[in-house]
Amino acid sequence: MKSSRLKTFWIVVFLSISSAFNIIPLLWMAVNAFKSEQEYALRPLGLPKEWIWSNFAKAWEVAKLGTYFWNSVLITLVAVVLTVFLGALASYFLSRFEFRARRWVYGSFMLGMVIPIHATLVPIFLLMQKIGLLDTRLSLILPYTAFHLSITIFILVGFMSTFPKDIEESAVMDGSGVFRIFFSIILPMTRPAIATVVILNFIYNWNEYLFALVLINDDALKTLPLGIANFAGKETTHQTLHMAALTMALVPIILFYLALQKQLVQGMTAGAVKG
Amino acid sequence: MHTLKRTSWAIALGLFPALAIYIGIAVVPIAMSVYYSFVDWDGLTDARFIGLDNFKEILADSVFWKSVANNLIMMATGLLGQLPLGLLLALALNRNIRGIPFFRTVGFLPVVISAVIVSLIWGKMYGVEFGLINQALDLVGLGELKQNWLGSARWAMLSLGVTYIWQNCGLYMVIYLAALQNIPSEINEAAVMDGATGWKRVLFVTIPMIRPTIWVTVVFAISNSFRVFDLIYVMTAGGPAHNTEVMTIYMYNNTFTNIRFGFGSAVSVLILIFSLIAIYVAGRLTTSRDERGKRGARA
Repeated sequence: MKSSRLKTFWIVVFLSISSAFNIIPLLWMAVNAFKSEQEYALRPLGLPKEWIWSNFAKAWEVAKLGTYFWNSVLITLVAVVLTVFLGALASYFLSRFEFRARRWVYGSFMLGMVIPIHATLVPIFLLMQKIGLLDTRLSLILPYTAFHLSITIFILVGFMSTFPKDIEESAVMDGSGVFRIFFSIILPMTRPAIATVVILNFIYNWNEYLFALVLINDDALKTLPLGIANFAGKETTHQTLHMAALTMALVPIILFYLALQKQLVQGMTAGAVKG
Repeated sequence: MHTLKRTSWAIALGLFPALAIYIGIAVVPIAMSVYYSFVDWDGLTDARFIGLDNFKEILADSVFWKSVANNLIMMATGLLGQLPLGLLLALALNRNIRGIPFFRTVGFLPVVISAVIVSLIWGKMYGVEFGLINQALDLVGLGELKQNWLGSARWAMLSLGVTYIWQNCGLYMVIYLAALQNIPSEINEAAVMDGATGWKRVLFVTIPMIRPTIWVTVVFAISNSFRVFDLIYVMTAGGPAHNTEVMTIYMYNNTFTNIRFGFGSAVSVLILIFSLIAIYVAGRLTTSRDERGKRGARA
């Protein structure tokens, strides 16, 4: 048994080192966010002599984080609601009904999980320009919805097709229409899977950068990743303000993750384990 | 499944909105990019059909091939860095010791952070003067190892690779962990009875048991490597001197900096083709291996 205790010891050492590797970058940034520019230049390592809380208020102001947060919240929420609602409706018909085009429709949605979305960047830009949506929030909401319908439908169809066949039968006897059955029976039963796809869509949309970079030019419409990249990536004179802004952008996502870890992990690994 | 009469209109109505958005915004643009790849167009003057000239020009451009090579490096970083490390972490986590939930939570944390924020943080860590890494090297007396991590052709790709592993390793860790927890405990017990312990058990019992999952992660890692953009664009923008450019950045620069929509579309068609080939090859490997495995099991 001695050797097994030694083994456990080394495993804990290995896990601790890798955890430290994950945490140190974030911690280093959060601590430096409290320093003055001068102190950061003199001592980038170690705790600040004086914790300057006003860095955060200043960074919030200078980086226009309020605007970016608001845009991200708005775009993300609308896209999530749209994706999950339309995805759930489509999944209902794809999983609970038998019709000729079913396999074909489902298959084409699944293809979307393989296509590298970056291949659609240039044509989507041209498309948005043509229909006059360039530089509007809708120009992001539509692609975000289109890209994540595939994974949403994949997860929801998987969940809905496990319901026993006779669930709708009594409702049909009562004379309920198909949409009524969807809203009053199927949708409530799908709640756990809905939670997973909502959280998954939220995190994907919240973090998206490339399409926002191409489709949004107006500073007042920029999302958080885009705005913060502009602020913290370009000039080099305000290092600790950058870090304060980054910390403020990071904290909500970490809290979100800690609160909803189970669903988030479930969604992001969906499809991998069963093969 | 129930078949109601007069439901076909309902089915059509229910599927239409999702299909319309999906086809209009995801499928049609791919067809458009194939069309645009044959034209020369700056977005202002009329598009001019030039046949395969865009492709000829791209394939003759050494910067493009540099970006393909860098994509392959990112793919190798995924396959040889993220996957083995993820598996190692999952193997370490798959046991009863205290603190496992903590390690798992911390291990997955970088996966949920936006690549932009990750890149900005790591960009500052790689900083020449005040960056954490050079400062730490000074602190432990290894000052002569200090580098311009992102600014030198020699180190930039390697530095990006480390960040790439940092961000995505946790994804594979939780995937493997879930697969490991699905292995029936009798199999491990039987292996121990037969004297397979430690690494032997991992190699000859555990890894064969989770092989389907490993192949799935291989496909994940390949397709993720073709999507890399944010990480590199934010940290180095492809520099110094195209040294860290990947295909998506090559596409972005040519389309939106040089304003050549036809040329950029041709690059995106090539990205599509390359990644489909890579995924197809990986998929073929998967199925043929599995069939061989099944045949072996039957024999």
